This record gives sequence, structure tokens and C-alpha cells, in this order.
Amino acid sequence: MATNPPEPIRVWLTPPGPNSWKVIFLLEELGLNYVIKSFSFENVKKKPFTDINPNGRVPAIEDPNTDLTLWESGAIYQYLIKTYDTKRQLSHDAHKERHLESQWLHFQMSGQGPYYGQCGWFQHLHAEKIQSAIGRYANEIKRVISVLEGVLAAKDADKQWLVGDKMTYADMAFVPWNFRLAEVLNQSWDEVWDGAPRVRAWHEGMVGLPSWKRSMEIRARLMDEQGLQWNGVPKGVETFDQYEKDIAARAAAGEKK
Amino acid sequence: MAEKSDIHLYTTQTPNGIKVSIVLEELGLTYKACGHDTTQIEFSKNTQKEPWFLEINPNGRIPALTDTFEDGKTIRLFESASIMQYLVDRYDKDHKISYPYGSREYWEVNNWLFWQMGGLGPMQGQLNHFNRYAPEKIEYGINRYKNETRRLYRTMDTALASSSSGYLVGDRATIADFSCWGWVAAAAMAGVDINEFPALKQWRDRLLERPGLEKGRHVPSPHRALEQEKLTDEEIEKQAEKNRAWVQAGMKNDAK
Repeated sequence: MATNPPEPIRVWLTPPGPNSWKVIFLLEELGLNYVIKSFSFENVKKKPFTDINPNGRVPAIEDPNTDLTLWESGAIYQYLIKTYDTKRQLSHDAHKERHLESQWLHFQMSGQGPYYGQCGWFQHLHAEKIQSAIGRYANEIKRVISVLEGVLAAKDADKQWLVGDKMTYADMAFVPWNFRLAEVLNQSWDEVWDGAPRVRAWHEGMVGLPSWKRSMEIRARLMDEQGLQWNGVPKGVETFDQYEKDIAARAAAGEKK
Repeated sequence: MAEKSDIHLYTTQTPNGIKVSIVLEELGLTYKACGHDTTQIEFSKNTQKEPWFLEINPNGRIPALTDTFEDGKTIRLFESASIMQYLVDRYDKDHKISYPYGSREYWEVNNWLFWQMGGLGPMQGQLNHFNRYAPEKIEYGINRYKNETRRLYRTMDTALASSSSGYLVGDRATIADFSCWGWVAAAAMAGVDINEFPALKQWRDRLLERPGLEKGRHVPSPHRALEQEKLTDEEIEKQAEKNRAWVQAGMKNDAK
């Protein structure tokens, strides 16, 4: 067990995006005392949230036990691990491994998240289909996966983790975006993992954990509260295609004004 | 006091590369960098995708760094922020440019460090791509990333304007500031007018007065980003043209 804080850690999030679920996954896996402050995406760049995160992005946490407010999921990860993973369930004690975990977390933050995010935007949310932009980000995603595949291929079969011989927070950080890959790339699950069997097994092992399943149940409940389906599409809209058409129609109407 | 080290830095003249050389110089560490050594990384020759380099960084990107670790064996590190965290953790015992591990300020430095790595760097990088290097001019792409880069500059400008020290966290310049400096110094290349952000411009120029930053920004070759401010956009465009061919060749290679 991790050291559990007496006061719940407050997690501010908007349910649709992947980054907040990275933090919830870690809190669930460590079994920490926390409470979610769920709010609508429309309010992310407004007060009072910008008083917590001047960058107007989720997630952010407030830890009343240490009187600390933090934003950026990677910074939150390193804080939670240092403060509460005292038994080193999801991290290593040794100095060397500590830096290697941090290295993979930064790679996830700068190499995985932004590119998956841009791909999803050009694939689904942007009204006009710009093939060269979609292709640029889809290629980068495939490259990131191939880097991970190469690293796992070089490790023993019983050590299929990024650092050392057990799952650490560095592995967990990659889960929420990889979980959305079929949607981001607009491909079937098999196509997504073509040529990357080790990354697939690594990922599928983690999404089978009770902590991830609980995280996704919470997400489903909070999405429901806001009238959203699992993929962020409002209820009453049948398919992503339909949603895209609605967005395009709204964009066209906006242009006419 | 700087500890004895055996640091090799694999780098080139980019905003991510100079973060590490600036921190090394700020800490007064001795190191070998490409250009001063045989480990030359040349983007245009794709050195960063050669097997010996992939051994150090499987992601095939600069910067990367090797050092003799406490156990006597080599440690290989990549991702600029992870390298900076390593360097201050191991060598900045007096906390000249960092705060003690686990302190409030340590975590607040981390906010900005990850903000730079996940936001400022990737978004300004995408702006450079659509603005300077993409095979076709896509107005939407340019505007999308220019607006986001400007929003991020504004976020930093607001934070600096309300900071009593004029730095991002606490009373001193830290790796959070050094992490952002090279990107902000390259605003002209990105087509962003720094004069829109007065506190940010002041911060950029004040940091220039530090001997460590001044020395570190010119590794492995002279830093010319600030000079571009005096050029017209057409002149910058002309300079970018030279790089366009290998950027696009590299994209094709990655897509294989």
C-alpha cells in the first residue's frame, strides 16, 4: 500500500480528453484518497479554473495535505509518486531508474501526447480534411509506436516494461492516448497495432487492470452527467460522421455571418 | 561545487539542444559536445538515425547525453527536460538553478518544465513546420499553431509580469526558465512578434546577461536566432529554404 493522505486530493478535470485519466489511473492504482471536481470543457479557460492553472488546461490537482496546487499531468505524476508511492509499487528507489522513468515520461509528454492530439484534431474535429496534415501526424504516431516496439523487443520476455522489470508510472503514462488510437487514426484495432505486437501486448495488459477499468467507469459516469457519449459526441448524435457533419455545418454557418 | 563528470552531449544548434548546454555552462561542468569532439550530429546527413546514436537515444532525436553514473557504468539519457532534471539533481548541490527535490518550488518548476515540453515546444515546432517547411502552404495550419503559440507566450508573459523576481518560480532563474529560453529567443523564426509580450521580452534579455547562458547558447555553433529579429520575414523565409529539402526528406524517411 501507498502512504494514504488523510485529506482527499482534489482533481480538476473535464471528462472527454485523455490526460486527466492518466492521473486518475495512477490514483486508482495506488489506491489513494482523492475526489474529482468535474466541470464542462467550455469553462476551462475561465475563472475560477484559471486561478488553479494559468494555462487553462486539465488536469490540475490541489493537495490540501501539503497545501500544493499543481498542473501538467507529467508534473502531477512525479509529485504523486515521490510523495505517496513510498513502497515503490510503481517506481524504483535507485537513482538511475528514477532518471530513466523521468526520461520516458518526458517522451510521452512531448512525443506522444501532442502528436496524437494533433492527429485527432485534423482527423475528426477540423471541418476541412487536410490530407497532408493528417498524414504528417499519423506518420509520427506510427514512428512513436515503432520506437516503443524496438525498446520492448530489446528486453527479455518477462521484462516487457520501459524501465526495469516491473510496471512503473512511465508505462502507465502512455495508456490513455494509446487507448484512443483506433479513433485517433481512424483504423481498426488490428490495423493500429500492425507491426507492433509487443507494444500491443504491453498496452492491453495495462488496460486489463482493475484500476484502469475503474477509471473508465468513472469517465463514463461523468461523460453521462454532461450529456456526452464515450467518444465525446453529444447524446442524440448517432455517429462520429454525423457529428463531423454537424461541426462542418456549424463552421459553414459561422463563415456566412 | 561541481563534481567531476564525464559528460558527452550530443546536440545541434536548436532550442532543445541549447537548453542542455546552457545548464551545463550555468553549473560550470566540463563536457564534450559535438563540434568540440568527434561525435558530430549533422541533421542534414541524418547522423541522428545512425545505429550508434540510436543506441543512446532510440527515438533518434537530439539532445542526448551520456555520463559515468555513480555505479561506475554509463548512463544514457534523452529528452531535454529529463536531462536537465538529471543534471541539477546530481550536480547542482548548492541549488544555484534548482530547488531541493520534493520542495514546493521543485514541483512548481516541474509545472513549467512539463508545460514547455508538452506545449510550447511542440506547438511552436508545428508552427515552424507549417510556416516554413511544409511542402504546401496551408493557411489553416499556420494560423492554428500561431494562435496557440501566442496563447502560450501570453500565459508565460502574464506569469512573469506578476512574479516579484521576474523568473518563473521563486527567487532565481531555474531549469524552467532555461527550458523556455531557446524557444522564446526563436520567436522571429516562428513569425511571432515578441514586442506583443513585454514581460517576456524583458525576461529574455535579462537572462542574456548571465555568462552561463551566454556561453551555453552558442553550443555547438553560434546561436543566431536573435539576429533574425532584425530581418524581414522574406529574408527569414530565404534562410529557411536551405533547410526545407532535408526536413522533407527526413519526413519521407520516417514515414517508411
